[in-house]
Order: sequence, then C-alpha cells, then structure tokens
Amino acid sequence: MNVESFSQELLEAGKRFGYADMELYHERVKTFGCQLFQGEIDNYKSSEVSGVAFRGVFEGKMGYAFTEKIAEDSIPFLLENARENALIIEDEESEDIYSGSERYREQTYYSNELQQVSIQDQVRLLLDIERLILAYDERVTGTNYCMLQSSETERSILNSKGLDLKDLQNSLTLYISVIVKSGGHTKTGTYVKVTKNFHSLHPEDIAEQAAEEALRQLGSRSIRSRAYPVLLRNDMAAALIQTFSPIFSAENTQRGHSRLLDKVGASIGVSALNIVDDPSLPEGICSRNFDGEGFATQRLQIVENGTLLSLLHNRKTAKKDNTESTGHAHKSSYKGSVTVAPSNLYVEPAAKGHEELVSSIEEGVIVTHLAGLHSGANTISGDFSLAARGYYVEKGQIQFPVNQMTIAGNFYDVLRSIQDVGSDLEFSYPTAASGYIGSPSLLIEALSVTVE
Amino acid sequence: MLEKSIVEEVLGLALSSGGDFSEIFAEDRRTNNITLQSGRVEKSLSGRDFGVGIRVFKGFTSTYTYTTDSSRDGLLKAARNAAQAMSGSPSAQTQPFVTETISPLHAIEWNPMQVAKSGKVGVMKQAYEIAKNYHAAIQQVMVYYFDEEQNVFIANSEGKWIEDQRVRSRLIIHSTATDGHKVESGFYGPGAHKGFEFMKHLDLQHYAGEASRIAVTMLGAAPCPSGKFPVVIDNEFGGVIFHEACGHGLEATSVAKHNSVFSDRIGEKVAPDLVTYIDDGTLPNEWGSITIDDEGEKTRRNVLIEQGILKGYLIDRFNGRRMGMAPTGSSRRQSYRFAPTSRMTNTFIAPGESTPEEILGSTEYGIYAKYMGGGQVNTTTGDYNFAVMEGYLIENGKIGAPIKGATLIGNGPKTLQLVDMVGNNLAHGAGMCGSLSGSIPVNVGQPMLRVSEMTVGGTKGDE
Repeated sequence: MNVESFSQELLEAGKRFGYADMELYHERVKTFGCQLFQGEIDNYKSSEVSGVAFRGVFEGKMGYAFTEKIAEDSIPFLLENARENALIIEDEESEDIYSGSERYREQTYYSNELQQVSIQDQVRLLLDIERLILAYDERVTGTNYCMLQSSETERSILNSKGLDLKDLQNSLTLYISVIVKSGGHTKTGTYVKVTKNFHSLHPEDIAEQAAEEALRQLGSRSIRSRAYPVLLRNDMAAALIQTFSPIFSAENTQRGHSRLLDKVGASIGVSALNIVDDPSLPEGICSRNFDGEGFATQRLQIVENGTLLSLLHNRKTAKKDNTESTGHAHKSSYKGSVTVAPSNLYVEPAAKGHEELVSSIEEGVIVTHLAGLHSGANTISGDFSLAARGYYVEKGQIQFPVNQMTIAGNFYDVLRSIQDVGSDLEFSYPTAASGYIGSPSLLIEALSVTVE
Repeated sequence: MLEKSIVEEVLGLALSSGGDFSEIFAEDRRTNNITLQSGRVEKSLSGRDFGVGIRVFKGFTSTYTYTTDSSRDGLLKAARNAAQAMSGSPSAQTQPFVTETISPLHAIEWNPMQVAKSGKVGVMKQAYEIAKNYHAAIQQVMVYYFDEEQNVFIANSEGKWIEDQRVRSRLIIHSTATDGHKVESGFYGPGAHKGFEFMKHLDLQHYAGEASRIAVTMLGAAPCPSGKFPVVIDNEFGGVIFHEACGHGLEATSVAKHNSVFSDRIGEKVAPDLVTYIDDGTLPNEWGSITIDDEGEKTRRNVLIEQGILKGYLIDRFNGRRMGMAPTGSSRRQSYRFAPTSRMTNTFIAPGESTPEEILGSTEYGIYAKYMGGGQVNTTTGDYNFAVMEGYLIENGKIGAPIKGATLIGNGPKTLQLVDMVGNNLAHGAGMCGSLSGSIPVNVGQPMLRVSEMTVGGTKGDE
C-alpha cells in the first residue's frame, strides 16, 4: 500500500469515525553510512524508512498516534489510539489544525551536488583522511572513529483544511576521532562536520585539524583551581548555547522551566550580545520554509544588544501568551508530538578573530572541548559544571594544555559576563531537539575552573 | 512476524556476494507516552514502530541495512543493498531453520496495551498530588508515563529462528521548587521490565516524595567546593559512576579494536579485592533485563571483575570475531534502526561488608553523593565525568550541609583502584544509556561505597 492511498483511506475512515479536522505528517529518510578501521571498511550502513503521524480533533480535543506500518490494519490502530489520547487531554489551551500561512518562502535546501556524490567518492574521502591522519605524526596510533553518513529527508504535511506542503533536505556528517600516545599518556581528538557541500571537505585540512586536536593535548599539566577568564572556542561556545537553547522556548517559560519568563523586553545579557534564529540560511542544517505545524518560518531576532526581543513559539504556546507563532513548532519526526525548537540559531559575530581574543587575555583558560553537557548542565536553574579540556594562557600566549578540568558557572550569568565576542562563527553538531546552533568564540569574564 | 520462505530468500540473497553470515531482525513495537503538567494531561502519544534490519558479515566487515518496507520486494531490495557492499562470489549457504522456543525469564502479569489510558493517567495524578503537596516551595511537577510492548524476531544463516516479547513500564516524576529567586529541580524515574502491575505496586509516596524532597533540599544548598576529596557514593543509581568509569570500557565495541583502557588485560588486577563487578540480564523483571539479546543469544550473568581481577568483557558476535571470543548475550540495539553491538544490561558492584554508618562515620571530610545525575566517558582515555544531583558535605563522619553543582571527573582505571570501602546495601536504579547502537534501558547498581580521592568541580572555588 503506498502512502498516497493510505492517506486518502485514513482521512476518509477518520471522517466516518467522528474526527472533525485531521492531519497527516509523513516522513521518508534515506541514509548511507560507512566506517573505516585501519584502511578497511569495517561497517556499511544503508536505510530507507518512512512513517506517518496522524493527529485529529475528536470532541474538540487533539489526539496523536503514529505508525511505521503503512498497511490496512494500521488505520484502525491510528484512529482508535488518537481518539483515546484526545479524550484524556486536559490542557486548557486546545490545539487545532492549521489551514496554512498566506505565503511561504520557496527556497530549496536540497543539494543536487551532494546527491550526486557517489558512494565510491565518499569512501575515498574517508580513506584519504585516515591515511593522512596515520601519516601525520609518529605519535598518532590510530583512529577510534573514521566514519561518515549522508542522509536525505523528505517530509510532507497534508490536512483536511487544505494544507499540502512538501520539503526535501540532505546533508552529510563526518565524524573522526584520532588517538595519540606519548610517554604513557593517551589523548583523543575529534573532528565533526555536518555539511551540504561535499567539495568543502579537504582531507588534508581535516586530517591536520583532527590530529592536532589530539596532539596539542599531550604534555598537559595542572594549574591552580580557581576562577579564571575563560575563552570558549567557537564550537564549544556553540555547544554550551545549544545545551541551554531550551531556555528560549516559550513552552519552557510556561512550564516554569526557564528563567526568561516575563523577560521579553528586558536586558538579559551584555550589549554586545545578539542572537538570531534564521531558518533560511542556505547552508543551515535546520533550514526550512515551514515548521512542524505548517506555519511559514521567518528570521527572528531573539536578543538584540543584550535585550530579549522574543521567545520561540509554536501556535499553542503563542495562544497561551497572546502572541503570534514565530514558526518554531517542532516535530522531531513522525514519532513526536509538536514541541518548540530553534532552527538555525546563532550568536551574531563581531570584529575580533580568535587569535586576537587570545592575545587580549592576561591570564586565563581556553576551552576546546566540553563533555557531560547532557548531565552537568541544569537548563532550569542555568547552573552548569562540565568536564573540559583546553589550554592555559598567560600574557596573551598559549602556555600549555591543561589536565582534564571542570568549568562551572551559571548560563544566565554567562550572558551578562561576556567580555568579548569573536568574529569566527561556527556551528555545533545539530540535534533534532535543540536545532543547529552557532557561535563565534566568546570570552567570559570568569568561570570557576577545577583541575585534576 | 515474517514468512519463512521470504526470510530464507532474504538471508540467501544477503550472502550472494561473498558474505559468510547473514541475519534478519524484525521488530513490531507499540509505545505509549503521556505527559502530565500542573496535574493535567498535556500530551498523550501512541505509536507503532515496525521495521526490519538485515546484517551481513564477511570476515571483519559488516554491513547493515534497514527498512520499514517489510514486503517481499522491500526486504529483497534491502538484502541486495547489504550484499552489494561486499564483493565476491557466494561462499556460504543458509542452514535449515531450527525454531528455538524460549521460556521468558521476565513474566508479565498485565500487558499495558490492555489497560485504558485513563487508568494510566490515574497513577500519574496520584504521583502528581504527592509531589505537589510535598512542600509549599514546589512550583511545578511534570509526570511522564511510558510503556511499550516490543516484539522481536531474529533469524540467521546458521539456522537460528527465535522470537521474544519485551514489555516495559516507566514513570518519571520531575519536580521544581522555587524560593522566589532560585529554581531547583529533583527527579526520580523508576522503571521495570514489567507490565501495568509495576504501576499498581509502585511506592508512589516514596518516588514522588523523593523527587520533590530533592528539589526543595537543593534550594537550600550552597555551591559545592572544588578540589580533591574522598567521595561517598550512595547505592542504587550511584552505580552510574562505574557504568561510565568502567562498564563502557569493557564493551567489545572498544575492546576489540584495542582502543579501550581495559583492552588485553584479562587476568590483571584492575581494582582492589573489594570490587566485584557484574552484568546480569537475567535479573527478574529489572529495567535492563532481557531473556535473549538482539542477536537471539540467551542473556546470562557475566562476571566482569571478580575481587579486583578482570575476568571478562561484554561481547557481541561481530566484535567477538576480532577478539576470538564467544558472545556473552550482550548484543543490544535501540531498534531495528541500529546494528546491534555489545552493551550493558543490569550492571552492578556486588555488595561488600561495610554498613553505610561505618562508611560515613570513618570519613573525616568529603562529599556525600546521595543521588547521581548522568555521566559520560571516553573509553580510549578512560576520562569520565558525571553530575551529582543531590550532594552533601561530610564533616567529622556526619552528613553536613547540602551542596549543589558538583561534577565529578577522573580517570576510570585510576578511580577503580581508589575504591576503599564497599557497603552491604546493594540496590539498582533505572536509566537510559546512549551509545553506538542507540539509547537502551539499563540498570546501574551498587551498594554505598567510598572512593578515597576524586576531583570535584564546583562553583564555590578552591577550598
């Protein structure tokens, strides 16, 4: 049974079942991936999956259900479960099916060029990278991971109010982890890139970056544990902001899970801080013309000169706050209900390059790696205490790598204690729930640093 | 779940270009997720996952394809894709199927798919009332309910034909407390390989009360000092430290490629005599329990470290080839979307002889980690980190003031050597573990124990 006839049958059966309005969200994802180990392909992976999310208004309330089995017997499963789910909902704000925005951007985020890259070329890239890494330095003993995955996602929304939207995306992810050993010490360095532009991936640069990331940690030493000025390198600044991006969601302010409740219009950060969410970035991994509810997306200035201008809304949270949706309804896949999440959210870059920021530090720490972001950060209170790696800086010069350390502080305080914003915008690894998040390097006045 | 003739055809086609082993994994899973906010049902979602994964080995190369299209054509296409990644002429043949019937180790009394959702909401509301009414400072309580019925079918070219059903239930209570300025939270998430009987017998008073008690306690907590201290880690979910510091490093995924800090060390003394570390998927109805793993291998009790000596690893079929070792019933995956690999089930430190009073009483100054948050490890370097959800200072052998924002960092093999007291109160806690083959339910467990020195990163600064 194909999806088109399944959809038609489902909508007709739904009407007979007693649903007022109904919507189908369909997604089809194709992936290819492979992993190398010592010059041999150790793992191949390919897939094609699709699924359908159904939601419908039953007795004035919205019910949800999904299935990956596109077959006759899934129709009663969806209709019955969604009805039961609708009937137990007690939320004061009812959801409805959206008839659509007046106008949608007609940008494409699908790279034909990427689609045409052959599997052989993808494997060759990995082989080149691994070979260059192993030859880079005698202290390199191997790779932990040398893998890539390309994927293509097609999604569509079809509803009984006449909405019929389609969208096609693709991207490629490269993940490299290098092992180096010297004097009984082992360190690893990682390189992660998600891109739509295959030809921007140069094996020499990637091998050097990954190997250096590991090698530069050798010979690490301890420093006194105390508060230091901390320069968060662009990718780590982005990772920290990604972890705390849920604070900008109106769903979380309404739950009391963000301290930005009632802060729209107020100053929440230094005047150099500007944060924007731009769903139309051509290279953005989370770019989209419509959101998870079919609402037209648009660029949103979230923070301007330190002042919070807007939270992220879907139609339900907007209704609760008496405002308009900002086009940030999010469906992680057909398996999720509608939540709120950023698209491509980033701190706008300023003037100084990374080197210039380093040279401005009298004494401090550069953070080049963070771990434990899922456990050491409390997105409600803003407190964080994270495992980190990086360098000790004195008189504007990097002195030596530092042993594993923790950096601790409060994210809300960090926004108010950014001393300088760099020019080197970089994005972190995107996740469905927290979006594609970018930042330039950020110099923070002080964080508590504890060193092993 | 699938027809025998099609399975045979698929496994044969998968071997058509030189593969020496092929396997098919089919999954039909139903799930229910309900969210209660401010005492009202805010979200309720039900669904059915249905897909098939096909795996082929050729020596040390493995390919995996998966699809939601379980028609004959869809499966043959997936098998062809899997075979295409290899090159060669057929060398292996499929063996006739021998149906294995298993006696389930984890009996289910009340399948949650037979329970009205209103009944599930009833339990959630009871938990909400208990948590909300715990203290005036409780501002918000979220209650999450989850249940699933996962039916799996596994067959392979060596003639395996086996089916299993896993039923799991979990309730998560998340309380936030405020004093008008600060906001703190507390969390408890008990789960089991059980049906709705789990919810009916659950001590809601305890779990919902604890979630709120933690949130309220943390409101009065001072920033944690930084430095190196003895750390007493309480039982149950405290076991997450060894899950990170040593469990992941014992998985064949990193051991097979000699990338783990524990590679090639069987028979070595890796911990003090006090430490025995076990992974046991057969514990009746525990959250991380399974009857067979996702390759169709029966689960068992795997002693990993016995009185300080490294005894074994957690091994899946593919990595077992590289290691020349037999699988240990440890091959798991989140769903058909992941090739299975060696993972933990219920992993715990065996009980010792000290009483909790003795452990705390003999600690002059240090940190008492009552409830742990999650953590992470780099299995190549052994460096780990994890968060303390509810912590206290220990002063003169007594539990002192609560502290917040503590993260513990260290190196797995080194920390293991520093365990100097092991308590007698073993307990297990439920969690989700994320790794190569996705996010899977696991238990972590331990009795109360002490590590003589750990690096504690807090916000207060140097002591």
